[in-house]
Amino acid sequence: MKKLVLLAFASPAFAEGPAEGPVISQFVEEAETAGFAHSFSGEWEFVVGGGAAVFDCSGDGLPEVFMAGGTNAAVLFLNESSETLAFRKATGSGLEIDMVSGGYPLDIDADGVTDLAILRVGEARLMRGLGDCKFTDASADWGFGARDLWHTAFAATWEKGADWPTLAFGSYIDRAQEEFPWGNCTENLLYREESGSFRTPVHLAPSFCTLSLLFTDWNRSGTPALRVSNDREYYKGGQEQLWHVDPGTEPRPYTEAEGWQSLRIWGMGIASRDLNDDGYPEYFLTSMADNKLQVLTTPGPEAKPQYADEAFKRGVTAHQPYTGDDLRPSTAWHAQFEDVNNDGYADLFIVKGNVWAMPDFAQADPNNLFLGQEEGTFVEVGDKAGVASMLQGRGGALADLNGDGRVDMLVVNRNGPAQVWRNAGPVGNWVAIKALMQGANRDAVNAWVEVRTGDRTQRQEVLVGGGQAGGVLMPLHFGLGSAENAEARVIWPDGVTSDWVVVTLGQINMVER
Amino acid sequence: MEPLHLNRRFLLLAGVALALPVPALAADRPSPEVVVLQWYRLILELIRHTATYSPPVASRAFAYLGVALWEAVASARGLTSLAGQANGLTPLPAAPGAVDEAALVHATLSIATAQLFANTGPTGQRAMTAMTDKLGAKVTDGLDAALAADSAAHGVAIVAHILAWAETDGGSTVENMGFPRQWTPGGKPSSWVPTSAIRLQQTPLLPDWGQNRPFSLTGDLPCGLPSHPEYSEDPASAFYAEAVEVHEISKTLTDEQKLIARFWSDDPMLSPTPPGHWVSILTEISARDALPLDRMADALVRLGMAVADAFIVCWRVKLEYDLLRPITYIRRLIEPKWEPLLNTPPFPEYPSGHSTQSGAASSVLEAIFGPNFAFEDATHEADGLPVRSFPSFSAAAEEAGISRLYGGIHFRAAIDNGISQGECVAEFVNRMKTL
Repeated sequence: MKKLVLLAFASPAFAEGPAEGPVISQFVEEAETAGFAHSFSGEWEFVVGGGAAVFDCSGDGLPEVFMAGGTNAAVLFLNESSETLAFRKATGSGLEIDMVSGGYPLDIDADGVTDLAILRVGEARLMRGLGDCKFTDASADWGFGARDLWHTAFAATWEKGADWPTLAFGSYIDRAQEEFPWGNCTENLLYREESGSFRTPVHLAPSFCTLSLLFTDWNRSGTPALRVSNDREYYKGGQEQLWHVDPGTEPRPYTEAEGWQSLRIWGMGIASRDLNDDGYPEYFLTSMADNKLQVLTTPGPEAKPQYADEAFKRGVTAHQPYTGDDLRPSTAWHAQFEDVNNDGYADLFIVKGNVWAMPDFAQADPNNLFLGQEEGTFVEVGDKAGVASMLQGRGGALADLNGDGRVDMLVVNRNGPAQVWRNAGPVGNWVAIKALMQGANRDAVNAWVEVRTGDRTQRQEVLVGGGQAGGVLMPLHFGLGSAENAEARVIWPDGVTSDWVVVTLGQINMVER
Repeated sequence: MEPLHLNRRFLLLAGVALALPVPALAADRPSPEVVVLQWYRLILELIRHTATYSPPVASRAFAYLGVALWEAVASARGLTSLAGQANGLTPLPAAPGAVDEAALVHATLSIATAQLFANTGPTGQRAMTAMTDKLGAKVTDGLDAALAADSAAHGVAIVAHILAWAETDGGSTVENMGFPRQWTPGGKPSSWVPTSAIRLQQTPLLPDWGQNRPFSLTGDLPCGLPSHPEYSEDPASAFYAEAVEVHEISKTLTDEQKLIARFWSDDPMLSPTPPGHWVSILTEISARDALPLDRMADALVRLGMAVADAFIVCWRVKLEYDLLRPITYIRRLIEPKWEPLLNTPPFPEYPSGHSTQSGAASSVLEAIFGPNFAFEDATHEADGLPVRSFPSFSAAAEEAGISRLYGGIHFRAAIDNGISQGECVAEFVNRMKTL
């Protein structure tokens, strides 16, 4: 049973850009005029984090923005944008919580109202959405036994047959260790549900000071695995990880014998997208100095988890500032792929910012906006697009904040003002797809949405996780370039594939099951 | 092991200190030896967690820390200063009438560490502050305030003198993590070319490091070394044979050989680096054998200067020979997709830096502890690698050298001649007078 529903927010298609080079969208910073005033603050315990959760809790189709506050209270901004961006700080939402490092939206209890998983320096919380952008702490009601940890990462999936999600919480360092924090990584925890309540979590041992988690179907087996990005600054004997999380079995890490290759970076954020249209996701891993773009070496049903780093080849090492006078190595945090110029090729947004007075690394470290090109390479346009902020960035998001079909941008800065930019275009053709299921996993997490234009098919996986301490739960956005017709289908999490349906360009199209 | 050496001045000073009408010292007040080991434990972490601390930079820090520590101890005990022996080091401030050694070495190491690691990140800064405060509180617990202040002030004066000297050696400023922004490749078939897909590493690490002022080496930089086999692509050549050896071993590595390669890999930012590995060995021995302060300081300064000078001469020669790495040659001529076990370091091949500095380290340690001094090495235990046992320092150096062949990152000549080069460096350090 599948149906296609068209939602509002149509916008006219825009003419194709210049013949040479990608179209550079122009971004207009509107934090001040939009009432987007907030700061993620703190010292050592908030050198990481600063996530933003972007989701619609008002039901108007425009996303609200929840931002971590560190030692400030977290904030929920209600979206009142029209042509320009406009936000109003919510009061009494229930999300005015202290010591928050990040948050991720998801519908935990399948009631059709989005909930929030809140990362804190202290006990994490599960906040149940009550509707009308009100929330209540449901941690106890849902049997969520949070522990006093420096929470830094989150991901969720619905295992086959499960009515409730499986939640992965990542944590960082034992805060009590002052002289020798190194080698004192605290536990990552996997929460599974049983009879409407989360069981005692499983320790994902070994844990290596995690800063990003992502459930992703890396090999298209139908069973997502847990990608874990770890900060080598603190672990000993650690590396990046990929965990088997198979229904009914204990989680276990992929091993060298299974083909997993040791990689040790200052892992800070994970972004995922099928960039080469082969049906398998690539992963961008943020770090310090060089970043990684991992491409599966032998895609196919028998694929091993072995990746080639193509960051240099494709022009996205993003290892040092590309503008300004400060040429010291960069520090990258949140990363996200979206097609900001709607040319049909995913672009890459990276939030940059010095950890905290680290003189070996750039202090004036501009955020990156790389435009994807047909041949698979990227070109940096952050300065030309107007988003080369030099503040101490951490979290961020790309999302269409005013429903005009142009992907906008926001950044959470540490000990500085949050920023938001309106994408003023130009904009090519686009379509947004919302996959919606009845019952559990309403947002079809780990489904694959495909959009076909002519003989080309773009794919995106519905994800809850990754980035730097925050994520977006909105219809998936596809730029279509000059294409005037498109079809879409959904490969649901259980493997059932919907029929191709013609979609209406310039609108959100809902595919229900 | 040699007996503890105490001279008249030390006994006199100790007597003066004991005669002071001070409150009873705390029962758990750390000894100066404990203070040194605590600081070196932290220093090894800072080496690992400070981005600019590649092996040459790490070796320099160990040398200056060692000199500062030695001069503090020597001034307190009337031992021989390195002033006039180490290149460019002028006489240091004299000690006040009496010092407390624990307070003195704590002040010396806390200030020297803070300044040498001023560029470490917030966690390192936090750790240094915590160590300074917490260990400092224990050190001064029950200590006469004036004596504590005088001791600390003397440490400050020594460090100021040492670091002013350090500023003039050519190695005090490291930018872009040591990678120059411009580099002109040699252009010959034998020339080094970048070997990784890391954008930052497309130029060689610290190409001017060989111009730095050494600590012990005198004259027109000695300890050169014979050439590697002449570069050739002829399968009958000695150079080709060296490449075949690296290639063939990579195909038949035993588990033990893989372990050896990883044990001595000592990658920057993932370990205390090769110089730190040897310092770790020494501090383990110091703790195990309860080495007295003067012998510990003597060993630390000799080891520090030896590895620092080893890197200077090694780097000068590396850039002169400008030889390509095995991965470049083997992929060019033998197996296009060959992968070595270890990541290839981003600088020219000949000689092997780890071999040179291990040759130097083992030679100075043998001069101190003797030729058949057995020890265990737990440097990487926290990283999941086993403790290894060695019958002698030279055996460890030999293993460190051959590990580079197992790892596929060096030809044999770079290893054999590198160790010899290090032994040459050690002779200069061994001639210096201390105890």
